[in-house]
Amino acid sequence: MTTRRSVLKGLAASATASLLGPSVLTRAAQAATSSEGTWHITGSHWGAVKALVKGGKVVEVKPLEDDPRPTDMVKGIKGLIYNPSRIKYPMARADWLDKRENADRTTRGDNRFVRVTWDEALDLFHEELERVQTTYGPSGLFAGATGWRQTGQFHSCINHMNRAVSMHGNYVKKAGDYSTGAGQTILPYVLGSTEVYSQGTSWPVILENSKNVVFWASDPVKNLQVGWTCETHESLPYFDELRDKIAAGEINAISVDPVRTKTQKHIGGDQLYINPMTDVAFMLGIAHTLYSEDLHDKEFIDVYALGFDQFIAYVMGKGEDSIEKTPEWAAEICGISADQIRDFARMIASERTQLVFGWSVQRQQHGEQPYWMGAIIATMTGQVGLPGGGISYSHHYSGVGVPQTGANMPGAFPLNLDLGKVPEHDSSNFNGASSVIPVARWVDMLLNPGGKIQHNGHEVTFPDVRMCVFTGCNPWHHHQDRNKMRKAFQSLETVITVDYSWNATCRHSDLVLPACTQFERNDIDTYGAYSNTGVIAMRKLVDPLYHSKTDFEIFTALCDRFGRAKEYSRGMTEMQWVEQMYEDTRASNTGNFEMPAFADFWEEGLVRFGRGTDWVRHADFREDPELNALGTPSGFIEISSRTIEKFGYDDCGAHPKWMEKIERSHGGPKSDKFPIWLQSCHPDQRLHSQMCESDDYRESYAVAGREPAWISPQDAAERGIEDGDIVRVFNDRGQLLAGAKVSDDYAPGVVRIYEGAWYGPVDASIGALDTYGDPNTLTLDVGSSKLAQATSANTCLVQIEKFEGDAPAVTSFGGPVEVTL
Amino acid sequence: MSIKSLILSFWDTLRTPPATISLGVISIGGFITGIIFWGGFNTALEVTNTEKFCISCHEMADNVYLELQETVHWSNRTGVRATCPDCHVPHEWDNKIARKMQASKEVWGKVFGTINTREKFLEKREELARHEWARLEANNSLECRNCHDYDSMDWDAMSDEAVFYMQPAAERNVGCIECHKGIAHHLPEREPGTSHIIAQLDGRAASSLKGGEDYFAYKPVKIYENSDMSTPAGTLNLAAKIEVTQASGDMVEFTMTAWRKNKGYGRVLYDDFGMNTRVAVLERETAQDEEIVTAGTPQMDDNTGLDWSEVKLSLWAPKSGFVADPSQLWEVAEASYAESCSGCHAQPDPDHFSTNAWPALFSGMVGFTNMDPIEQELVLTYLQNHSSDHSDAH
Repeated sequence: MTTRRSVLKGLAASATASLLGPSVLTRAAQAATSSEGTWHITGSHWGAVKALVKGGKVVEVKPLEDDPRPTDMVKGIKGLIYNPSRIKYPMARADWLDKRENADRTTRGDNRFVRVTWDEALDLFHEELERVQTTYGPSGLFAGATGWRQTGQFHSCINHMNRAVSMHGNYVKKAGDYSTGAGQTILPYVLGSTEVYSQGTSWPVILENSKNVVFWASDPVKNLQVGWTCETHESLPYFDELRDKIAAGEINAISVDPVRTKTQKHIGGDQLYINPMTDVAFMLGIAHTLYSEDLHDKEFIDVYALGFDQFIAYVMGKGEDSIEKTPEWAAEICGISADQIRDFARMIASERTQLVFGWSVQRQQHGEQPYWMGAIIATMTGQVGLPGGGISYSHHYSGVGVPQTGANMPGAFPLNLDLGKVPEHDSSNFNGASSVIPVARWVDMLLNPGGKIQHNGHEVTFPDVRMCVFTGCNPWHHHQDRNKMRKAFQSLETVITVDYSWNATCRHSDLVLPACTQFERNDIDTYGAYSNTGVIAMRKLVDPLYHSKTDFEIFTALCDRFGRAKEYSRGMTEMQWVEQMYEDTRASNTGNFEMPAFADFWEEGLVRFGRGTDWVRHADFREDPELNALGTPSGFIEISSRTIEKFGYDDCGAHPKWMEKIERSHGGPKSDKFPIWLQSCHPDQRLHSQMCESDDYRESYAVAGREPAWISPQDAAERGIEDGDIVRVFNDRGQLLAGAKVSDDYAPGVVRIYEGAWYGPVDASIGALDTYGDPNTLTLDVGSSKLAQATSANTCLVQIEKFEGDAPAVTSFGGPVEVTL
Repeated sequence: MSIKSLILSFWDTLRTPPATISLGVISIGGFITGIIFWGGFNTALEVTNTEKFCISCHEMADNVYLELQETVHWSNRTGVRATCPDCHVPHEWDNKIARKMQASKEVWGKVFGTINTREKFLEKREELARHEWARLEANNSLECRNCHDYDSMDWDAMSDEAVFYMQPAAERNVGCIECHKGIAHHLPEREPGTSHIIAQLDGRAASSLKGGEDYFAYKPVKIYENSDMSTPAGTLNLAAKIEVTQASGDMVEFTMTAWRKNKGYGRVLYDDFGMNTRVAVLERETAQDEEIVTAGTPQMDDNTGLDWSEVKLSLWAPKSGFVADPSQLWEVAEASYAESCSGCHAQPDPDHFSTNAWPALFSGMVGFTNMDPIEQELVLTYLQNHSSDHSDAH
């Protein structure tokens, strides 16, 4: 993060206080003290908050007044700091400590752990890195699986772990992520950008220009509660405006979804129910209507797109399968009548229509296809790049659509080695295996060393991994098929996890190091991940609890084991880093955005940069497709892709196609045995698995102490299930207990269990009943296709029954069973 | 009476011929006055060499002086301070007098209020800064070197990163100001189309361009159809390769071989067949002028179905803006990529993706970085030039 440039900028650091107007500082009054205690400001994924600290303890947490729509989850923050699942001490797995690589691995997951000192733990960490690098080389170590680390740009634990472990040696890394694996792989070929993480058309532009807003498997009001950095929630008031415009008949909003979403319930508007996993069939029916009724924009397609003829031949039954994709054909599969399909097609072609896709729909087998088809529908309407028209894949994420200020944001602690530095073990010999694997295939890698898979145009050879290091992520929440994972983990000699709460990844590790929470360290963060609304100070509220330490301390101490602590930390303290990061930001904004000196910023807590500028996605391409070419191979929208066609994959071809799934509800394969589709989308009252351990808050939504399973009244009645019952949800892959929530928001044949529910097996056995309700106990672990090899979590069928008898106690929370040797 | 009218009335007095004083009085009086003035001049000269004098004008006190106070040249652990004259007044007598002659312009500026507000100062800052940079570049940063010396640097006491940049500079005896602009006062605001990247590369620019040699643009370079710059032809992208054919004054004539897609006006030129690495954007008229741009036989790119043609063109460019070795660009780009793209995740190796895959991935993520447009262009070009198409790794 520090280059010569930033050093220079730091030295040149600027803007004298006298030149600053009063508007720059938000008088948020960091550290307001009274007899009741001291209020401090800090930031989080859940927004900016104020915490009342008294006697070294956080007594109360409230949203900052600056937040226009605080999330309910702020209620869970105090419980995130204080709960029985906090990791108190470094712990080693009882059966592993003495025998290490020769230990019995079948007992992994029995949760029996021994307390060790920090010195012992860090020596063990170093010894195991050393052993694996010496014995197997870099292909023996998998690190760098990452996720939603706690916020704070200095303490970002992903960066700390990567930098420290990289100083010791090279290792197998991942490509892609779980959230958007299929989308971020297919869209570069089609629209020339990942799209999923791109800024979208500003909400004021949509509200002003769109006649129709289609939320396609997208639930922004639920998902905008959290942000990648400190969330501002500035996006949410736009949904109130949308609600008012819908009520006034100015905008028509349609939610294409098997479930009535939180967004739909907030804004009003209509739901267009669709059978799960059949979106591509519906969209092919739309394309058929647009083409056969001559509603498609031929000039736009001619100028801005390639490959339409090949695609439309397939739609019209002139392709290999010789099936014409009529609305009648589509209706049979997707459950939307042929007339409704035609009406929908006519509507989006005749009026300005903004399509807004969510991410769940690409987390399924063939998840590339609905995203590609969405882009084609938008192209056929000729509205790509128009204000309030075209397509978005990101408006539910981290405040996308809030106009961006253009200010520069804080950098981060360096993830890489410094320039010119090499690791202690500088081998790049991966024994003929790949050094990077598609992230969602790492469990296949453990089960199949030396195996080969196709991925995005090249072949991946799985390395023989013996050791994993995890930090800032919980793979025992985000990966699919727990029982397959249990089998795979028996091949691992050593698993080391750094975390602040004892989740299921800790349970299945050999060595666990306690990090502190973000509320126990000083940091700085971006306020508004896409809007760049401001910069927020994250003042430490209380000292690290128990024996926990900051990741910075932990990894500095690890690097000290091989004599590189000073190089790691650059000889700087936490506060020196935070101040330098702030000053770098201030210098880079000089002349454009005024920022106060660090001391003032730290005192006040928040700098804001005002309202951003309205913007229209793809407008530059529409204006001049030659100069502002897309990032696709041709520079144009690729309705058919020769590049993908040449890969020769059977599950992702030259253009989008309807392909049947391995298992599919509503009459699809295997639905006779397991008739209900399990949807495991992002939770409403957690951030993935974060905050599940916040006891009081969890109790506010849990059912009989279990994760809710949302079920339709018809499915419940057929099974004798009533609201509040404990149910067993199962298939051939696993079984879990959950608490029934009966709701007519859900269609028959659809059940939702939010991902992120903590896995709590009754014992260490493969097939063990999960006592709390982690949906990934049941999900399918196959790649979306040979193109993306992404997660297919939403391709999952289950059966549900009322649980009879004494339900076993929930084992997910409360930390390890401490034993002594 | 204002200073301005005082000076004007004094000037009137001087230009009026004497009417009553004898030649003797004038010559003897002039001699005596000369002695007195010479002493006074030296004393006065010394007074103008103090910080106190410098900041007696609010233009200095309210702008550059305040900025200096935030830097290491003002306050540091060893208590050594550099004041205004240490850096801005030459220590040799002849240079000093020359500088003072220049300074008379500053008095003029003071009197007529050229920079008497913050806004006026900021507007003028770039011009003022360029004067100082040019002076320091001309004397190879002499005033810096009165205190700093490559030979006295303790490489072991420096951070690894500092050594990484400083040692090559020491080997070539690069003047301090080449890299350390903005070290004591704020840099001028960036004009659109400029970048800190360019500032880093300015010091590496090729000083003279030779016919028959290849050069690479290190910033966007405007190109022309003729040597008098009367007809703009377009812009070269960073890292665009040209072959110089002849030089004429500040301009060079060059040839370039590139490829373009046969869809649209053919304005965008790429470095190779089927490869989306941009090297130039032409004006529409230039692109369609077959006397300037000669296109070969179209060939179909199998990955897109588009026809591409090889094009050869001959145009003019200003001499400044090129380096002789593209690795100088890649060094800067690599550091920028590693820093900017590792904030949220480990940055992928450049050869993990193909030349034509990088633009999409880059545009999908670059919004999370602070890169300015020129830095983005450089980093993307770097990634495309080091992609899997240019390596054996994948």
